[in-house]
Amino acid sequence: MLYWFVFKKNLKFQNLLVIVASYVFYGWWDWRFLFLIAFSTFLDFYVGQKIYKYLDDKKKAKYWLWLSVACNVGLLGFFKYYNFFVDSFIDMFSAFGYEIKSTWTLRIILPVGISFYTFQTMSYSFDIYYKKLKPTDNFISFAAFVAFFPQLVAGPIERASNLLNQINNKRVFKYEQAVSGLKLILWGFFKKLVIADSLAPIVDDIFANYSNYPASTLILGVCLFSFQVYGDFSGYTDIAIGTAKLFGIELMSNFKFPNFSRNIAEYWQRWHISLSTWFRHYLYIPMGGSRVSKLKSVRNIVVIFLVSGLWHGANWTFVIWGAIHALLYIPVFLMGRNRLYADNVIAQNTWLPNPKEIIQVIITFLLVTFSRIFFRSPSISDAFDYINQIINNFTYESYVHPMGYRMLDFYILIAMFTVYEYLIRKDERNPFKFKYPLVRLLIYALVILSMLLFYDDGVNRSFIYFQF
Amino acid sequence: MKKFIIKSGIYIVLILLIIEIIVRVFHLYTEDPPRFIDEYGVEKRVPGNTGYTVFGNRNQSYSRFSINESGFNSHREFNPTNDKCEIAIIGDSFIEGFHQDFDDSTGKKLEDKLGNCEVYEYGYSGYDLANQMHLIHAYKEQFDLIDEVVIYLNYDSDLDRGVYEPNYDRIKMLKSTPFKIRDNIKILAYGSKIGILEPLKRLVSGKAFEEPENGYQTNEIETTDDEKEKALDIQKLSNFKSLVKLYGFNKSKTSFLLDSRKTSKRFLEYCRNNGINYIDFADNLKKSKKATTLIYDWHWNNHGRDIIASTIADYMKAKKEKVSK
Repeated sequence: MLYWFVFKKNLKFQNLLVIVASYVFYGWWDWRFLFLIAFSTFLDFYVGQKIYKYLDDKKKAKYWLWLSVACNVGLLGFFKYYNFFVDSFIDMFSAFGYEIKSTWTLRIILPVGISFYTFQTMSYSFDIYYKKLKPTDNFISFAAFVAFFPQLVAGPIERASNLLNQINNKRVFKYEQAVSGLKLILWGFFKKLVIADSLAPIVDDIFANYSNYPASTLILGVCLFSFQVYGDFSGYTDIAIGTAKLFGIELMSNFKFPNFSRNIAEYWQRWHISLSTWFRHYLYIPMGGSRVSKLKSVRNIVVIFLVSGLWHGANWTFVIWGAIHALLYIPVFLMGRNRLYADNVIAQNTWLPNPKEIIQVIITFLLVTFSRIFFRSPSISDAFDYINQIINNFTYESYVHPMGYRMLDFYILIAMFTVYEYLIRKDERNPFKFKYPLVRLLIYALVILSMLLFYDDGVNRSFIYFQF
Repeated sequence: MKKFIIKSGIYIVLILLIIEIIVRVFHLYTEDPPRFIDEYGVEKRVPGNTGYTVFGNRNQSYSRFSINESGFNSHREFNPTNDKCEIAIIGDSFIEGFHQDFDDSTGKKLEDKLGNCEVYEYGYSGYDLANQMHLIHAYKEQFDLIDEVVIYLNYDSDLDRGVYEPNYDRIKMLKSTPFKIRDNIKILAYGSKIGILEPLKRLVSGKAFEEPENGYQTNEIETTDDEKEKALDIQKLSNFKSLVKLYGFNKSKTSFLLDSRKTSKRFLEYCRNNGINYIDFADNLKKSKKATTLIYDWHWNNHGRDIIASTIADYMKAKKEKVSK
């Protein structure tokens, strides 16, 4: 109301309101970490000006760019990876027979969303350095760009060329945009509350007690985790994009129905797109991308996936997860099929997919799901034990829900969700594309009702990707 | 902007209306028969009410209730006489039995097992021992005619007070306008049942902004679990003695129905030393290979109720044999 009614005519006040709202939103979790965001904001605003000033003097521009990278990565390194590196260092020494008594690890709180906003601010410095963007001289706009609350803690990781430009320009309320925002918010809540949160107790139970379960249950557990993490993260993204739309801002798409990918390359064009784009622009291409020898390109792919794995969390499980994806991606890349499905979706011009596409989708889903054993397990040994248990206890037993709910309800839910996603697969920005208002109304009511039907007040509702 | 706000408002109202209709058609909401406190200060349900209780978000438990003339959920009226055999079972929600059809209750099962006795179930959610003893005292004439009295005792929660006070405030609260609105708008009744209104309630009451309890360290000397348990037992036993002193206790025809796994050893020892009978169903529940409670609720399921009824029936038969010898 304040944004559209009171400050409608004053862009500066609108942006100030966005900053206040964003800082209150973040400070609600822990106000002390607002200083980190403020520091990152001041630093990159200043560094951006300096890089631009010295664009003709590559050496100096590079120096300022490295300052931004060092500070942002330094913050990330300290808060997210310090203990991980200390522990890994100690483990490495003990593997060679040198025992080190650890007194170096610290009790560090991981600031929510630090990986997201540090990457976003770094993108600003990179874009100026690569002459894709002029720095802004409006500090308020820049601070609003860094802290914009809908996407502050879990993305999409926006590039300044998209988000900052919109923040710098006057926004006009558009009815269609606001309605589309509300639709996305509703769909995002459905994915979070109905899909992710209702599967969470099952997945938690299976991963916590994997040694007691047969292969059938363990396979079920990791498959359901695939749906849980997708519902959780893409649900958050939809809510973020929808909320931004209510402020007259368009964020980039982060998910384009990755469960219907026909190979691993297509999967990465559809899953966490803003992160893959970030790595492609600021790491893969500067390293030479695919315009170098095959061997170097393969090296670049491996680096990207390992770093991407580590970006997710300070644990070797994520590195292995990244390595698995690199191994799956390289053959597709070498066969020249990595851009094959970049511009089309499954069953592009037909109602139903052909048998080849169905097989491709199932295989891709299973491969991605397999890698998630490492993503979800607390340690590498747990992940390997989980896999061992699948192989060694290859039997079937029907699974009983930890709270006693009927499992059939969840199978039907997942099946209906998959079918519905298939129907809307061509437009991730418009989940409710129905011609008749009455049908739309009924669908909205059913979606909200399903949130009630699957609501469980005992479930921990934090978003999985907040920890990254 | 105006168009957006007006249309959003209309959509919200229509959506809520559709959900209200669905909740009513599929009976997702539960019914709570109205309560009152009678002229003797006994809390009970308003006689003559029938309906359905529903547990779980998706109708996971659905059962019929029928409140008799005495104000309790039962398949029969309570008319004790000197000529026939009657057993009264008094207790909380476990005895009230809103989780199962009223004509398939623990009492009905017990009647079927004994064959020649009428079983009166004085069950009411939230009853503790003070309520139960007061009920027996208030309806003394009726209970004098009843041959056996079984009091369901949940040790953890039923011995927290030594004096009975009717809870007029709760009855008043349940009759207040917000609660009437909640009961009449079924989507609210449903939302309240599944706990979705809790965050809203916490927000309105300001609890959402409170710091969690014990968020800081104190230098208080901590007592051990044994000491705490002993102190609690002493308190509960003192409450029990106070109630007995106030209302009396007919040891010859009154027995406690309890789970020894969840009852203090000190209390059980006190009962044994003072000739107070109790029926312990712990072993029978433990021995069961099938689940004895509802899967999404801790109340007994049909099998659990069957075991309880059998345990009471065996106890009654053994007692009768002992008396006849």
